[in-house]
Amino acid sequence: MTTLAPGAADAFRTILGPERVLDAATERIIYARDGSIADGVCGLALLCETTDEVSRCMAAAHRMGVPVVPRGSGTGLCGGAVPLDGAVVLSVARMRRILEIDRDVPCAWVEPGVLNLDLTAAVAHLGLHYAPDPSSQAACSIGGNVATNAGGPHCLASGVTVQHVLGVELVLPDGEVLTIGGPAPDPPGCDLRGFIVGGEGTLGVVTKACVRLTRNPPAVRTMLFDFTTTHAAGACVVDIIGRGVIPAAMELMDSRMIDACEGFTGAGLPVDAAAVLLVEVDGTEADVAAQTDVAVAVARESGTRCVRIAQDEAERALLWKARKSAFGAVARVAPNYYLHDCVVPRTRLVEILDAIGEIARRHDLLVMNVFHAGDGNLHPLIAFDRRDAAQVDRVMAAGKDIVEACVAVGGVLTGEHGIGLEKRDYMPLTFGAVDLDAQACARAAFDPEGRMNPRKVLPMTARCGEAVLGPDSLPPGTWI
Amino acid sequence: MDLTPAVTPGDRDECAAALADATGAGRSTRVVGGGSASHRGVPLTADQVLATAGLDRVVTYEPADLTLTVEGGVPAARVTELLAAHDQVWPQAAFRPGATVGGLLATADSTFSRLRWGPIRDSLLEVVIATGDGRLVRAGGRTVKGVAGYDLPRLVVGAHGTLGVLVEVTLKLWPAPAASGWYTLAGDAPTLVQAARTVTREVYRPGAVLLTPGALCVHLLGAADDVTAPAGMEATQGPPSPQWDATVQVGVSPAHIGDLVTLLAGHGDEYVAQAGVGICHVAVHDADDVDRVRALATGLGGHAYVTAGPPEVRRDPWGAPPPGIDVMRRMRRAFDPAAILNPGLAVWDAPGDRV
Repeated sequence: MTTLAPGAADAFRTILGPERVLDAATERIIYARDGSIADGVCGLALLCETTDEVSRCMAAAHRMGVPVVPRGSGTGLCGGAVPLDGAVVLSVARMRRILEIDRDVPCAWVEPGVLNLDLTAAVAHLGLHYAPDPSSQAACSIGGNVATNAGGPHCLASGVTVQHVLGVELVLPDGEVLTIGGPAPDPPGCDLRGFIVGGEGTLGVVTKACVRLTRNPPAVRTMLFDFTTTHAAGACVVDIIGRGVIPAAMELMDSRMIDACEGFTGAGLPVDAAAVLLVEVDGTEADVAAQTDVAVAVARESGTRCVRIAQDEAERALLWKARKSAFGAVARVAPNYYLHDCVVPRTRLVEILDAIGEIARRHDLLVMNVFHAGDGNLHPLIAFDRRDAAQVDRVMAAGKDIVEACVAVGGVLTGEHGIGLEKRDYMPLTFGAVDLDAQACARAAFDPEGRMNPRKVLPMTARCGEAVLGPDSLPPGTWI
Repeated sequence: MDLTPAVTPGDRDECAAALADATGAGRSTRVVGGGSASHRGVPLTADQVLATAGLDRVVTYEPADLTLTVEGGVPAARVTELLAAHDQVWPQAAFRPGATVGGLLATADSTFSRLRWGPIRDSLLEVVIATGDGRLVRAGGRTVKGVAGYDLPRLVVGAHGTLGVLVEVTLKLWPAPAASGWYTLAGDAPTLVQAARTVTREVYRPGAVLLTPGALCVHLLGAADDVTAPAGMEATQGPPSPQWDATVQVGVSPAHIGDLVTLLAGHGDEYVAQAGVGICHVAVHDADDVDRVRALATGLGGHAYVTAGPPEVRRDPWGAPPPGIDVMRRMRRAFDPAAILNPGLAVWDAPGDRV
């Protein structure tokens, strides 16, 4: 473990006071993990409340050569907020103010600790919402969403986080504060804003974000189709889009997941189905009617056993509750789960589901599926018990097989969770050494010393000319 | 601009090799696609031209996946034609006669109907660039969604080819809308500004709401029943397509587009302003005109730069350096260490910045 410079804690206490620099072992351990299954070691946790505090802490870390890991709500699933080797964790969770809402854009400037769903709640009276809606939206922060370029079911038609971030305030690793972008579109120069979104905390600390707000659609229709085979459900997805309809959301659940969710929420899901599709269309009344006609017709041709259309907002909310509580519902099945996140071309969905089923059988594991079928974004979930070491080994091996199977059909490593620590060493599956070195150089343009969230995203072999990281910074095998 | 001689690589490897040579020899290189946006930036001459015309292959088109992979020199018109056969569109790209796919992306030239479709940078899923020093770098992924690795695709859109030549791109496509139509309303500036505000608030997801001197133009698209003339407006053929010798692109918050239009109209300027988006193209006549329009833009918290014009208009094409200029400079050096690509075309490319 890296030993922090002597006096590091005191230097930060000078800035934040004694209460907001956590160095007790019982406090640090909380900041050593996130929503993934990775464990790290947190040297100190800093609870910043203003941009100025973040800037001064970053400048102090720069002077002392201390690595810094930014953290929002800590719900991330790829180990992105897990500190390695006793790095300092800089939490922005207390920066929770919505600073400005401009309904004429419409957009809002928010601090990074604002929770995703709180923002939508705060603008609901204006007929607006914040479009990206990760399943964790009640707990995850906008800052974390920006770091991972988060997605969600409704990103199928409306796009992921980067399409909803107009600008950011970024504190660079040396403490300099930049405002990049804002509501005025296409500022001169290259699009640093777009590059910072998805930067996974390796480029600096985002201390404000200007996010686009979206008008609530005048009409919404939510449909549930159920199928006796996952093949039929997968084919239905391809055909709906093939007929020129891009639904607002199109989610697929397999039988095991249906069972768990139904037991958890009692939404009336058909527990004897092999798969259900939750399809939501929105827009004008005319548009919704046209899209609904196509979706229902295709579902019938694909062999759905029934067409359930939510009759009111309460029923719609219940269906979505069933979908969004999927991960919590897994607790009924096993104490732990490992949630994967890969994307395949939509046309390869059926075959990849078969391949994942085969991988689960081969490793004798329980895999459940609930995912954003419309954009081919798979979330195979492996339920397991981490007290069983042999099972954990099989979980990791199966995870690797799943990633490789997705890549083999033209897929990518992650659709919305990020690379972080989890998939860092899979990066060479889809990128060559030249590609990865170029990414290291782009990262170094922000963080020449490699002190921000070190050893995340890029494998240790990726280098920008001269070594970005010190020679003693080898991976410590802290993964799981 | 008198530029000789021209290099026309036939594939990505030849392109990379030509750039490696140019870096080795310190030969500055102007990259040209269709040549439809070659009158921008600081007017500097280059030692040679690299034409992307030979990079003209369609690599893969997967209609069911809504993705298209083409080489950067493919004319955008060819893409439009190819997609039309499958009732699909690449809707974020501007219509610029003669432009290539790579050129539209490099200049971040988004459609008038950006209000509905979003900017062109949202359409680029994967890119292969040939860097200034001749590396072939791939980033992004060919699926419609993906966050694996740093988002170099977004970085190259609008970088004017100064990070590398776009040799191959994968685009995200959309189904063609069932119906679309343009509608217009005549009136004075205050009337039209008010009408534009009403349309952007009351019509759900219009394609475009454009303010011009004397007319408001609205683009509607979607279900046939939704494509009907808004109250008081009548059908028209299409968007305004003014022919100007020199153009400044202004960006202000959409909240201030009405204020900008009022100021421009008061001066008798010609303009096309995108309500709800915040972009406004303004006709200019000389470098002082550029400064004047820029002052209006910055007064409203925005920016302004020259997107077309003869050299004498481009005395100061970009205005004050944007925040993050040092990061941009480092980024440029990471991809084009000898700074040979497109002299004068990058915002940070003052002549003294040449290595």
